[in-house]
Amino acid sequence: MELFTPEFGLVFWMFVAFLCLYFILAKWAWPFIIKSMEERADKIDKGVAYYQEAEARLSNAKAEADKLLAEARNEQADILREAAKMRNDLIEKARGDASIEAKKVTEAAQVSIEQARKESEKQLRLEVGELALQIAEKVIRRNIANDDAQKALVDQYLREVETKN
Amino acid sequence: MKSKIITAIVALVIVALMGWGYYSSAEHRAHGHAGELNPKETIFEHLGDAYGWEVPFNHSVRIPLPIIVWGQDGLHCFMSNRITGGETYDGFKLSTSEEHHGKVVQVMADGSEVRPWDFSITKNVAGILIAALLVIWMVMTLKRWYARNGMKAPRGGTGFLELVVDFVYGDTIRPILGKHAPKYAPYLLTAFFFILTMNLLGLIVIFPGGANLTGNIAVTLVLAVLTFLITTFSGTREYWKEILWPEVPMALKCPVPMMQLIEVLGMFTKPLALMVRLFANMMSGHMVVLVLVLLIFIFTNLFGVGVGIGTSIFSVAFTLFMLLLDVLVSFIQAYVFTILSTIFISMALVEPHHSEAE
Repeated sequence: MELFTPEFGLVFWMFVAFLCLYFILAKWAWPFIIKSMEERADKIDKGVAYYQEAEARLSNAKAEADKLLAEARNEQADILREAAKMRNDLIEKARGDASIEAKKVTEAAQVSIEQARKESEKQLRLEVGELALQIAEKVIRRNIANDDAQKALVDQYLREVETKN
Repeated sequence: MKSKIITAIVALVIVALMGWGYYSSAEHRAHGHAGELNPKETIFEHLGDAYGWEVPFNHSVRIPLPIIVWGQDGLHCFMSNRITGGETYDGFKLSTSEEHHGKVVQVMADGSEVRPWDFSITKNVAGILIAALLVIWMVMTLKRWYARNGMKAPRGGTGFLELVVDFVYGDTIRPILGKHAPKYAPYLLTAFFFILTMNLLGLIVIFPGGANLTGNIAVTLVLAVLTFLITTFSGTREYWKEILWPEVPMALKCPVPMMQLIEVLGMFTKPLALMVRLFANMMSGHMVVLVLVLLIFIFTNLFGVGVGIGTSIFSVAFTLFMLLLDVLVSFIQAYVFTILSTIFISMALVEPHHSEAE
């Protein structure tokens, strides 16, 4: 029965040892350890939440970036298309302007040519008239009965005029 | 991989040493008293306390421990090796009488033996102190880790310690006690680690271990009383009301306080169960190992050396199995004590439920 009888000395020392152990650990160890572990658990939880949020944000940002990129691409295509159109317009306009100008120049030239022609025609008529008068004068002056000889003379003068011109 | 193999080998060597130590100590005990085998005495001597600490392979030499007694004429202190050989020192000796067998007694003038107040640092007391120092060292190591490394997860032994703390506190104490957990956790965690260390120390046969600490009823008595005191002093009004005026039909509580009797009895049976459970589990583990070892000598005495050798093969196998099982039991019993204490405390912290408002 000795086994089931608590020994006084052992009870005493066990009590003392346990209380010392309790006060030492309760004062300097357990609260700190528990606090540290809970802080770490907290931090890990927060880290996971932060990570998930960051991941969501990242995917959002990616989607946004893709959207922006697509927009930029569209804009770029628009700008290019517009630029091409503008260039074509410019060329077209320039070409139109040029042809109008050319037409004007041509018309002016034609007008002046016409004028010159009319002038020269007038001149020519004057000259021809004069010439005819001269020819007639000469013909009359010779007074030769031969018609053929007269005709040849006229021809000769006319030819002279032609070569002058 | 290599380190795992080394760990396994070390573990095997330790386990083998455990078994071997049991053999040698049991053998010396078995043949210590004039060569006569007395299994009952051997077992009870091993399970009980002692003055001085045995060393393997030599039954006459013991590590001396201080004996502190308060006798009829005041305080006496001396080392245990002065009396463990059977001598009388300063009027004290180890009793051989039936009543105080193996304990220190003061021999009076008329030759009668009187048991003094015995505060001796016996083998078990020394074991308790060693266990307490080990616990302080372990827990402080963990604390230092947090102080130094903050948020980094500990590795190796400290990591295992953290795992155990987290299992006991995070998965047991906190869910059960809720907001009261920080207040009671130091006691429960201290109890857990102290019991676990004492359990495991008891399984090692040579010097720092070998004392059957938690298999001693005095040790479990103190632990159970502490749980009882904490439970009783944290009792809420509701807790006492449920004991003194429980919600049962009037006939069960009014003229004859039957329910009250049962409830008050329950206050005491709970810690009593804690005490006996831990004590019986740890003691029986030691006892089974001892019986298995002693079987060899019993069979040798009865049937000769040949049968003894044959028995030893089975004994060794079963002893190793029992020791490994005891390692498991050490953890389980420490945990069971802690979780039950937690539950008893949580029952004392009960708040009034709202069914009364109906």
